[in-house]
Amino acid sequence: MGSFKLGGMTFGSLFKKPETVLYPFETKPAPAGLKGHVENEVSQCILCGICQKSCPADAIVVEKKERTWSIDPFRCVQCGTCVRLCPKKCLTMEPSYTPIATTKTCRVLQVPDPKAGVTES
Amino acid sequence: MTTFEQTFEETPLAQVHELAASRLADGWRYVQILAVNTENGIDLVYSYMKDGLLANFNVAGVQKGDTVPSITDLYLEAFVCENEIHDLFDVDISNIAIDFGGMFYQLAEKAPMTVVSPEQLAAREKAKKIAAAKAAKEAAAKAEAAPALATGPTEEEIQAKIAGLDPEKAAKVRAAMEAKAKKAAAATPAAPAEPAKTGLTEEEIQAKVACLDPEKAAKVRAALEAKAKKAAEGKGE
Amino acid sequence: MSKATIIPFGPQHPVLPEPLHLDLVVQDETVVDCIPQIGFVHRGLEKLVETRDYNQFIYIAERICGICAMGHSLGYAETVESLMGVEVPKRAEYLRVIWHELSRVHSHLLWLGLAADAFGFESMFMHCWRLRERVLDLFEKTTGGRVILSVVKVGGVVRDIDATQMAEIVSVLDGLKDEYTQIMNTLLTDTSVKNRTVGVGYLSAEDATALSMVGPFARASNLAYDVRSFGRGAYGDLSEFAPITDTAGDCFARVKVRCLEVLQSIEIIKELAAKMPAGDIAVDVKGAPADGAQASNVLEQPRGECYYYARGNGSKNLERMRMRTPTSQNLAGMTVALKGCDLADVNMIILTIDPCISCTER
Repeated sequence: MGSFKLGGMTFGSLFKKPETVLYPFETKPAPAGLKGHVENEVSQCILCGICQKSCPADAIVVEKKERTWSIDPFRCVQCGTCVRLCPKKCLTMEPSYTPIATTKTCRVLQVPDPKAGVTES
Repeated sequence: MTTFEQTFEETPLAQVHELAASRLADGWRYVQILAVNTENGIDLVYSYMKDGLLANFNVAGVQKGDTVPSITDLYLEAFVCENEIHDLFDVDISNIAIDFGGMFYQLAEKAPMTVVSPEQLAAREKAKKIAAAKAAKEAAAKAEAAPALATGPTEEEIQAKIAGLDPEKAAKVRAAMEAKAKKAAAATPAAPAEPAKTGLTEEEIQAKVACLDPEKAAKVRAALEAKAKKAAEGKGE
Repeated sequence: MSKATIIPFGPQHPVLPEPLHLDLVVQDETVVDCIPQIGFVHRGLEKLVETRDYNQFIYIAERICGICAMGHSLGYAETVESLMGVEVPKRAEYLRVIWHELSRVHSHLLWLGLAADAFGFESMFMHCWRLRERVLDLFEKTTGGRVILSVVKVGGVVRDIDATQMAEIVSVLDGLKDEYTQIMNTLLTDTSVKNRTVGVGYLSAEDATALSMVGPFARASNLAYDVRSFGRGAYGDLSEFAPITDTAGDCFARVKVRCLEVLQSIEIIKELAAKMPAGDIAVDVKGAPADGAQASNVLEQPRGECYYYARGNGSKNLERMRMRTPTSQNLAGMTVALKGCDLADVNMIILTIDPCISCTER
């Protein structure tokens, strides 16, 4: 008796919309809070280095002298600690994942110097 | 509803097996055995549970060469933990019911958990310094409780405060506190000997540099030496 | 009686999701003795506690095992909180339990699928994993991760579930419950399932007690031990909680206990969602655990009681962190259950204890 119930469920699946998507051609929409990758709004960044210190995977490197902020997306574990601790709230977690790659790369962002900008203009 | 409670007790090595036997007779559940690598040997913690009471028994400082009796004749399920402790901590456990003879975990290195990593060493040293600093601070507070209110922070106090901080911050705080001490000294010329005024001696610098990162150490060293020189010059004038 | 033969089973075997090796001493198709061995996936994660501070280690703790990820981060956080004397806000406790119970639903559904696959019930496997996907989607929406949630921190949780999301969780679970009940009834009334499981791998209540068994394995042998019944955290606010037990002690009883626990977890989540208090979701934790301070903790994982231990050394890095997982406790019971069974039933018995070897070895 029980088998017929499941049989009905399984048979019904033939006519329903599939539960899966045709992946490479179709992708599921990412929900708003998805932990994809870390993005830095460099104009706000003050290079304090709190993100570097708090990172459990040592993925973030802040060079104060060169004014660069770099993240290794292949080390990052998307825990979101840096985003929570950022004093200027310039770090955000974006819902899209880092695309696959054949080599590991670091993303280096140049942070503009606000003082330099003022003196030049 | 039974509530959860935990207790920690010390127990000597010789009583491990008796303890297990008495627990078994009283109907306690075996929970686990773990080992902690400490500076005075290896601590073993045996845990048993009954009606929500989790009792942990600490066997402190098992040395190399000590033989720990197995409790697998009473609690068979302890064979996993005992083999694990034997493989990871190299503790000699006799008569394990299912003894793998060191082949329980396939390891590249013998007793990996007894290796003290540089990070752990650094953490332990830092912790010790914090503890020492706290003690020094308390002692200083006691000594200074009655007299000398306007003398400002002494060298001891500065050291105490610095020890617990990050190296980068330490230098800054130190400078600030020294300035404070100097001011206080200027305000009360009759104050007792001011070590801050004379700057740091070579030994003090050494002591400070020893526990820092090598890159930072060089920087801090240079800064401290410059300061010491200045202080010496100031004294000479 | 013929001569005894030793048949090696695993570490690679179609029914085993994880590497467990058994030396089965077999006489005429009957298993007379069995020696389990693990040790193929030891990664030394406990040692890593020395290189990370106590806030950072939580991300390593939840990577011990993919299925128990939420449980390990929760157990670790609770242990460190008791080590440092931190009081967690009520709302955080509720949120933690909701996610933890959701992960129990997903773990049991995953296990049910694997078990169905092992007795050749392929369509059941598909249905179970299809339902499990809904729970993973809920995780994705509420925490941002599907398996590794990274949502617990020492002192609370990092994300809140707002009222709309909570309503969504409840409605998804209601839908899931309908379909799941159908699947469950099919499984528990099916004759071929019963032929395969009833009376197989029997373990008496006395043996289960003597071997300190934990989790659904023990509860199927009528040992009513469940850490949740201590009523800590949000579990204390449940109107009623009684561990699900069965007296039969065989494979079928274990399947039944796990099946019913899914429904129990759904009820717990719905009750807590209705009672959810307002307030903060985290407190600030400052300072470091004192030198020599110790704390222990137990937590009911999907597979049973898991023990946690932490010792501080005065710095931000812990001196020692240790977890003893339910499978490690159940290995001895498994060998007892295996004795006297048919060789063909070995895979069924191993699956019904739901072994998690990567947890056990860390």
